[in-house]
Amino acid sequence: MSLLRYTLRRFAQAIPVLIGIVTITFFLANQIPGDPVEIMLGPTPAQEQVEAIRAQYGLDRPIHVRYFTYLSGVATGDLGLSIYYDRPVLEMILLRLPVTLLLMLSAFAFAIVTAIPLGVISAKRRNEPADHVSRIVSLIGVSTPSFWIGLVLIIVFAFYLGWFPARGLVLPWADPADVRGAATRIGVLRQTAHHLFLPMIGLGTLQMAQITRIERSSMVDSLQGEYVKLARAYGVPESTIVRKHAFQVAQLPVITIIGLGLSTALGGAVLTETVFEIQGMGRLIITAINNQDYQLIMGTTLVFGFVYVIGVIVTDITYSYLDPRVTYGDE
Amino acid sequence: MSVNSATSDDDTPDNSDESGGPDEVEARVGLRYTLKQVRQDTTARIGTYIVGFMTFVAIFAAFDYYVLDYAIAEAVLYNPETDPQNVRRLLPPVGMENQFGQGVLEHPLGTDHRGRDLLSRTIYGTRIAMTVGFLATAIGLGGGTVIGAVSGYYGGWIDDVLQRVTETIYAIPFLVLVIAFMTAFGRDLTFAMVGVGITAIPVFNRLIRSRVVSIREEDYVEAARAAGVKDRNIIFRHIIPNSFAPVLVQATLQVGVSILIVAGLSFLGFGAQPPTPSWGQMLSASRGYMLPAPTFSIFPGIAILITVIGFNILGDGLQDALDPRINN
Repeated sequence: MSLLRYTLRRFAQAIPVLIGIVTITFFLANQIPGDPVEIMLGPTPAQEQVEAIRAQYGLDRPIHVRYFTYLSGVATGDLGLSIYYDRPVLEMILLRLPVTLLLMLSAFAFAIVTAIPLGVISAKRRNEPADHVSRIVSLIGVSTPSFWIGLVLIIVFAFYLGWFPARGLVLPWADPADVRGAATRIGVLRQTAHHLFLPMIGLGTLQMAQITRIERSSMVDSLQGEYVKLARAYGVPESTIVRKHAFQVAQLPVITIIGLGLSTALGGAVLTETVFEIQGMGRLIITAINNQDYQLIMGTTLVFGFVYVIGVIVTDITYSYLDPRVTYGDE
Repeated sequence: MSVNSATSDDDTPDNSDESGGPDEVEARVGLRYTLKQVRQDTTARIGTYIVGFMTFVAIFAAFDYYVLDYAIAEAVLYNPETDPQNVRRLLPPVGMENQFGQGVLEHPLGTDHRGRDLLSRTIYGTRIAMTVGFLATAIGLGGGTVIGAVSGYYGGWIDDVLQRVTETIYAIPFLVLVIAFMTAFGRDLTFAMVGVGITAIPVFNRLIRSRVVSIREEDYVEAARAAGVKDRNIIFRHIIPNSFAPVLVQATLQVGVSILIVAGLSFLGFGAQPPTPSWGQMLSASRGYMLPAPTFSIFPGIAILITVIGFNILGDGLQDALDPRINN
């Protein structure tokens, strides 16, 4: 089977999961106590007004009708109206999603760039001081709450040293005229990097630690492989063995872990956005919950699920692309 | 943590494959064997010390709260402002100084924004963290074991349905799922615990199911079935006890993960509500005072770090100690 067909099949397989996510989200949101109309109109609204609003948002219909209406809406990209923002939910999400994706991508870039050398050195110098340091760093990394790392980074690097801003984010595609201290596109990008640095480390540390752990154990296994012994017997230099023979094979479990880490990172983004006051998806879902904005709660939860499912599929495809043994699911 | 579930998942077949005859299988399971291995493994021992210490602190706090002096605990932890004259807000730890004054011995780690002693609140936070960590893990373990065992043992459509449902739960990032769950049912600590427990179900489900599928065809299970033992008894008397080692490792790691998630939830305003002394909630309150009193933000975080490190070291140590490949 070709890679393209495999890709299409993976996406087709994801459809029941996506419908499942919609279902869970819908029924959870339906359990939310309190009346959204009351929140909108105050405690003593006029009866006609209430009914008009109920009809407008479809709240007067029975639950199964609303479920199928919502499901078909999702299929056509209609996630309903946000009561709080008085705008389509999808519009709000499209506004906020790029911010969260930018944060996530930079966090993973940071994690991968630091974790792979750490893991490889750790495996190469097994049980030497460098290995111990890297193992302790990764142990602390998996045990520290990401929001606390954020707080400590703010205290040290923003308040005491004053190197980085403590809050907010400048989007790389923002208009230079709107960004303080940036006259040109380059200036905007510099501001973006400046603002992104601390949140990136705050969110990326856990991923870094997890990838380091897997990279290490995977490289340790790989360096004991038959092909490595054979290469050594042929007199291939050790650095070439590590770089070419052992390294490539060892990356497959690492890709799996990156895929699974997406779930923690998406949850972590909610916390990191709170700590650094970044207006992304995480803040959007918290705002939605605090204002009992049903449609927005459902929409944001859904999109979090969708992003994760798509991320897992992308890592699966990368995996099968890199691993010659995978035959694209032919049983 | 997904990493650990993946690795222990991989290790599971080795446990039964390499252990040879039935006598050896017998020797490799159970509490006594585990304790013996843990004593011999340095990492597991260090983990045991940390977890033991934290458990002791938590029990001490609970004992103090319920048995010794409820009134004092109430005053120190919850309502220091009953006596506004003596309230010393945002003091630094002993030996340090900030704009609110100098650290005093009476409050070794300083005070919070309402003048409450940080050390007592951090100690009391242990009680909440440990309770939540253990109970959430118990819910995940219980639910995951039942679903995984039934699913793996019966196979067929039961398996399909149960696995699709847990996969879907797993497909929503778990912090978001717990937040949505708590919005629907309630924002206090009980629902945080149940919610985190539910997100742990898929992890244990996968672990138990893979064990059950591999053990289902073993001779002793066949023999039990031939002898007319009921399915339920085969699952709970034979199959589950044989999955003890990997489940114990995963459960230990899961306690740490649960503590982290619940701290995050409390930080966001879900879970423990003020004035309950929970670590996440203390960190959340400290956000407004990071510049004048940075130490307020430091200690609850260190408490979380030490506790979770304890469970992670213990989990890693148990994995090494109970892994036949390393012992052989």
